[in-house]
Amino acid sequence: MDYDLIIIGAGPAGYVAAIRAGQLGMKTALVEKKAVGGMCLNWGCIPTKVYIESAKLFDRIKSAKAFGIDGIDPAQIAFNWGTTKKRSDDIVKKLTGGVNYLLRKNGVEVIHGQAQLNGPSSVTVNNRLIEGKNILIATGSYPKNLDFQLPDGKSVEVEQLSQLDSFPEKILIYGFGGVALEFAQFFRMINREVTLVSPVKNLLPGVDTYLSSYLLRKTRGRGVQIIEEAQLTVNTDNQLFINDKPANYYLLLNCSWRRAVVPASEVELKLTADGYIQVDEHLQTSIPGVYAAGDVNGLSYLAHVASAQSLYVVNRLQGMPDNLKINQFPINIYTIPEVAQIGLTEGEIREKGIEYRIGEFPMSANGKALAEDSADGLIRVLSEKKYGEVLGVQIIASNATDLIAEAAAFMSVEATVYDVARTIHAHPTVSEVFLEADLDAADTPIHK
Amino acid sequence: MRYIFKFPDIGEGLDEGTIAEWYVQKGQQVEMGEPLVKMETDKVVTDIPSPRDGIVAALYGRVGETIHVGSPLVEFDLPGIDGADAVSEVQKPVFEPVNEEGAGVVGTLEVADNSAYLPPTDEVAPTPTAEKPLPRRALATPVARAMARELGVNIDLVSGTGPAGRVMKEDIENYVKRESSGHYPPYQTAASTAATLNTASAGGGRAAAGTVVPPASEAFEIRPLSQIRKTIARNMIRSKQNAAHMTVFDEVEVSELIRIRYKYKEAFEKEGIRLSYLPFILKATALALKQHPVLNAELDLDNNRMILKKHYNIGIAVDTDDGLVVPVIRQVDEMTIRALATAVNTIAEKARRRDISMEDMKDGTFTITNFGSIGGQFAVPVINYPQSGILGIGRMVQKPVVKDNQVVPGTVLPLSLSVDHRIVDGGEVTRFLNKIMEYLGDPVSLIIG
Repeated sequence: MDYDLIIIGAGPAGYVAAIRAGQLGMKTALVEKKAVGGMCLNWGCIPTKVYIESAKLFDRIKSAKAFGIDGIDPAQIAFNWGTTKKRSDDIVKKLTGGVNYLLRKNGVEVIHGQAQLNGPSSVTVNNRLIEGKNILIATGSYPKNLDFQLPDGKSVEVEQLSQLDSFPEKILIYGFGGVALEFAQFFRMINREVTLVSPVKNLLPGVDTYLSSYLLRKTRGRGVQIIEEAQLTVNTDNQLFINDKPANYYLLLNCSWRRAVVPASEVELKLTADGYIQVDEHLQTSIPGVYAAGDVNGLSYLAHVASAQSLYVVNRLQGMPDNLKINQFPINIYTIPEVAQIGLTEGEIREKGIEYRIGEFPMSANGKALAEDSADGLIRVLSEKKYGEVLGVQIIASNATDLIAEAAAFMSVEATVYDVARTIHAHPTVSEVFLEADLDAADTPIHK
Repeated sequence: MRYIFKFPDIGEGLDEGTIAEWYVQKGQQVEMGEPLVKMETDKVVTDIPSPRDGIVAALYGRVGETIHVGSPLVEFDLPGIDGADAVSEVQKPVFEPVNEEGAGVVGTLEVADNSAYLPPTDEVAPTPTAEKPLPRRALATPVARAMARELGVNIDLVSGTGPAGRVMKEDIENYVKRESSGHYPPYQTAASTAATLNTASAGGGRAAAGTVVPPASEAFEIRPLSQIRKTIARNMIRSKQNAAHMTVFDEVEVSELIRIRYKYKEAFEKEGIRLSYLPFILKATALALKQHPVLNAELDLDNNRMILKKHYNIGIAVDTDDGLVVPVIRQVDEMTIRALATAVNTIAEKARRRDISMEDMKDGTFTITNFGSIGGQFAVPVINYPQSGILGIGRMVQKPVVKDNQVVPGTVLPLSLSVDHRIVDGGEVTRFLNKIMEYLGDPVSLIIG
């Protein structure tokens, strides 16, 4: 055997697994056909956050005067996409550089090329056959092709955004999910006319309807046109229609369904009906010794879940006891305000017939949020009545995506609302809303 | 004013006790020192006296229920203070009989919170639970703790699957599932079925009987473990797991001992003292221990030392209906045979009345088990850990013995000596046993020394 573990794909599932395997002393190969860091680092999570941050600052700086800063004329400021991209590239370089360093440091051999599975323990890369005791497929996903053909330059994938030099005036976003809403707000903040067309009714699957309706209302309030359950079609003149109305757009951004990137295989790799690699509860595929983690197994599209899955696989291969709790992870949406959720939604709790209570606290009653002029939003803590265990937390706040970490921590130790309500939270902080919401659930709110 | 009297620490690292009988009931006027409740604790059944004068406002627990040290036991309404408020207050379901600090729930009375309700008094303050080290406190999540409490599961017995062995909610669920799917159904007490206690109905005192509800079955009978049985089980395993047991057997010819005992038996009886062989064996053992100090020692491996004890307190294993107890006779080396006989009689009487106290069982340095009084010649006694030895006395038998090259009838006493081989080497054990046999074979030497 050449390796203890061969990992195909160097995204947040693959590279994290590789570092971990190296740390545990496994001889590890990491095969990547494009760029170490995968979608997340190179085109997804990180670059889009850079774009959004620029857009948010652009949006926020318009209210500088109200903060006591004179001299900024909203009519004079402009969004510079080129500089934004440059800033993004610098950050990505820094991060991928760090990942490459960690891979080297932990003795991981990175092989650039396209991998093909030859058997339960062999992979071909660049016409070279390598053998490993175990194989982890972490090849991720890609956007499903549109069902219709648009003229060149009229449609773009998220991955290709950085190749554009500028954006046209009218943007049509096709799709759903957090990414679609983030881009809808992004383009709107930089003064583009935005239409968001969703092929499905529920734009945010898996997200509590309370949050999704709040976010949709906010996004519409910013001037984004949202059309749900719509069909896009193209007529013979290459004209695009939303249902039966001609679409008025210059560029379509595809944020629709994603599909698994399944590596070529000479042995049969069982797939689900949707084309994802089928895995068991230990993320093992139909081929013993071959595992699949991350988007490619269809269990989640989130980078942090992908990393958790791949760590689980590596730890388990090394005989370390580990629990894979993939039902408990934060879902973050980087809009204004940000939206974050962890655990069960209210609908899921109802479905399970659990007696529950909701502790709520508005950001408008939080001093720090008011000081930051980000009093839009609230926190909801859903707990079961018997022991007060926190089952779900939902936050709408300017920094909800960071705040949710506290909930993730206390939920991982099965904390009750009483524990959280007793935890001293620093004042003034936005995090105080946790204290208040949990006090609310324990029937003893202070500031409400 | 209300005063909550908590189950006090009555010594020797006791964690809990089971309510055997209430002597008082709600509304009853009691005086300081008057017994409130009979508690069955590890090894002893003991009365808990009232710490002060007052009116009983509430009884925390029913007969058969286990109360942890530091948990509320009786709530008093103190004289001169309007009791209506107190009574209405305690009728709230506030009590959880658990021994965990910080695991309570907002809106309930926390057990560990001693200062919340207690007015400053000059009473004996019960040891707060928080300060008392428990044998092993499970790492567990808050929900797992709440669930264990509700289901009556001892969380320290549940193995956790969370990080660092943390007991998670699921572990409790699985534990309960496993326990209830076993061949034998779990027994239930009223305590384990009730999540919170209705203190008002618990005030029934003696009437609240029949709380142990075993499932009906003809195939087997299920008995809940008594405190004594639990302690015996724990101690026996502790001894077997920690000590390196080694046993030596021998026989000693005791015709002379029989003669002397017979000679003084009647005289003693006239004074109301029953003279058995035990006082002689006690004395012989104590004198031998003095000459072989490692047999009266204890190993302290954690601190790399051995503790040699200069007092010779010998415990006597006594068989009672409730189980084995080991009362101790102190400073045996300094006692006369007469004093020892009296002490042995006192112990027998106390055991008969189930009156052996915690105090009676403290500070033993060596143990004698006289199984021969029932039958059997040799045995492998289990050391009363952390002591270093235990002497088993078998039944005396008549046997042909060789005296002056002649086979003559003799009476031999079989001895079985178990030691902790970590502390005592084989040669020393044999020399020690030889010494005892020397004394017993020639009882006059017990006096001469």
